[in-house]
Amino acid sequence: MPRILVIEDDEVTAREIVTELAAHGMVADWAATGCAGLECASAGGYDLITLDRMLPGMSGIDVITALRERRIETPVLMISALSEVDERVRGLRAGGDDYLTKPFAPDEMAARVEVLLRRHQPQAENRLRVADLELDLVRHVAWRDGQPLSLLPTEYRLLEFLMRNSGQVLSRTMIFEHVWGFHFDPGTNVIDVHIGRLRRKIDVAGKPALIHTVRGSGYRLAPAD
Amino acid sequence: MRPLIDVWRSATSRLILIYGALFVVWSVVLLGAIQWESSRYLNHVLDQIVSQRMQYLGQMDVAHLPQAVDAAGTLDPHGIMSAGLFDAQGRPLAGNIASLPQGLVADGRMHLLPKGVPRMDRLRSDVSARAMAQRLPNGELLVLAKDTSTIDGLGAIIRRTLLWGLSLTVIPGLLGGLLLSRGPARRIREIQLATEPIQRGDLTRRLPVSRRGDELDVLADIVNTMLGEIERLMGEVKGVCDNIAHDLRTPLTRLRARLYRAQQQLDGRPEAELMENCVADIDAVLTRFRALLRVSELEDRHRSACFSEVDLERVLHQVHDFYAPLAEDRGLRFVLELAPLAPLRGDAHLLFEAFANLVGNAIKFTPSGGRVLLRARMERNGPRVDVLDGGPGIPAGERDAVTRRFYRGDNSRSTPGSGLGLSIVSAIVRLHGYALEIGDGDGGGACISMHCLAEPAIEAA
Repeated sequence: MPRILVIEDDEVTAREIVTELAAHGMVADWAATGCAGLECASAGGYDLITLDRMLPGMSGIDVITALRERRIETPVLMISALSEVDERVRGLRAGGDDYLTKPFAPDEMAARVEVLLRRHQPQAENRLRVADLELDLVRHVAWRDGQPLSLLPTEYRLLEFLMRNSGQVLSRTMIFEHVWGFHFDPGTNVIDVHIGRLRRKIDVAGKPALIHTVRGSGYRLAPAD
Repeated sequence: MRPLIDVWRSATSRLILIYGALFVVWSVVLLGAIQWESSRYLNHVLDQIVSQRMQYLGQMDVAHLPQAVDAAGTLDPHGIMSAGLFDAQGRPLAGNIASLPQGLVADGRMHLLPKGVPRMDRLRSDVSARAMAQRLPNGELLVLAKDTSTIDGLGAIIRRTLLWGLSLTVIPGLLGGLLLSRGPARRIREIQLATEPIQRGDLTRRLPVSRRGDELDVLADIVNTMLGEIERLMGEVKGVCDNIAHDLRTPLTRLRARLYRAQQQLDGRPEAELMENCVADIDAVLTRFRALLRVSELEDRHRSACFSEVDLERVLHQVHDFYAPLAEDRGLRFVLELAPLAPLRGDAHLLFEAFANLVGNAIKFTPSGGRVLLRARMERNGPRVDVLDGGPGIPAGERDAVTRRFYRGDNSRSTPGSGLGLSIVSAIVRLHGYALEIGDGDGGGACISMHCLAEPAIEAA
């Protein structure tokens, strides 16, 4: 069971995060100040840290800089009310792994935590497998039921992101950020169209569908229930 | 951008020119009056001399008269004074006048003869003369004339004086005026340069004020005070707008989370659909707030240190790849036409966002079967990127308004969207110091062009 450290000075937000993470089967501890958070994180034992950017005293940036100086490489999800473009860059440059702007949908926060956790799991194999769908990370090739799929580069990256986070609900924003690397609102239908194309190549007739639409949230790649 | 002020068109130059012209007219009038008065006086003196001489000769013994008339002629080596004695039939008896001047009446009064007097020696026959004729008791006619060359000479002297006077005052006056107007023109130019960023929307700039406290400084001070007030008001309006968007987002996000949870718990029941619609509506509101805050964020952002070299061709390829499937699904042809482009300094992410908005709009407004063209080529100052759609186009009257927040033209009311796409684009364009131009495409649709610069135009703020 993953252990998460929540560094957040606002009690309401902290409770919201802890509850949501618990609902996703994670154990979350709460630290209310930057100093306390840094101490807990240094003690070790956490798989991920959610870090508020604006903390009284020691700011989020200070905490993360101190952590990275102590060679503690626990993945960090920065959460901030500051949405400015530069602010995101500054947070990520200081050593943050992902950046979420307040106010956030709790399920999106949890999804981002899970994506980060997966990313930092040691990759044993060069292949990803979900049901009869396979992806070769070295040769950039995919198969469904042993049949090679012809994918465009974008479709390959999209499939890789979905497969790395299989079972996880991924919002359109997250997909756009991870697959295309941009941070703005591209409008919902463009991502839907890309998913639709990938779906037509993967979920061929006669096979159970693997890409599922989650209403109000996004998409999930998982074996058919 | 207005052209910089021309020294010749400045108010000082104009005043100097008007003043110079008035000065010339006044000098001409004054010297003309002097000339007129002095010639009148000289004519009067001349007339008196001639009359006196006439009186003297008229009283003389008739026997000595021809001799005296001849003597009067010889006494005048310059040919200014003419004298002649004629018999009753008008034949010359003595003196240096060859024949009776035409039009001269023997009334003992002065007359002006424009053609002068026909002299024996044919000297100065072209000069006008003032002449007097008197009939003597024996029927002979005595004529005395004096040519007016002395008086004309006076006129020439005065005209020369006028020319000298004018050239010695008007030319240095004009040069001085030009020098004088250069100072204010230079300051106006400074003010003009200082207002350029303000016209582009940077209300933090102020006009330069010198320590002299002259009228330009007073004016600049007034403008600066007004700018300060405008900046404060704009800040307040924007602040209110941003605060509303920001403050409403938190409760809306919570509300959405609750509704979403309820929707999941109700999964399969008919109420779930209602919940789903509520979530979709809140999402639409949140999207709009996000776009609004995004515009403010971009407008607040000053030139960023994050600018780096951008491969514009790559960015445009990415935009094409990103939107090609959507265009295909809509039954549109989405064409990318790229000439080789020089790299530029900017923010690749923001440029992608701007082109994505433009292309997204173009796809939205082009009916099925139409064409969207993304085209780029090099121009003198840098790359130019055009996005052409096959939609209804943007009417000329709406072209300024479309980049304003929330503006939606009549043609676009039926399509979904926040109405903020072009505001975001124009904020990004301004941030880079580029220019956005909205025109007509070849096929009747709109053509939105972004004129990029190879090097950023605005200095780091």
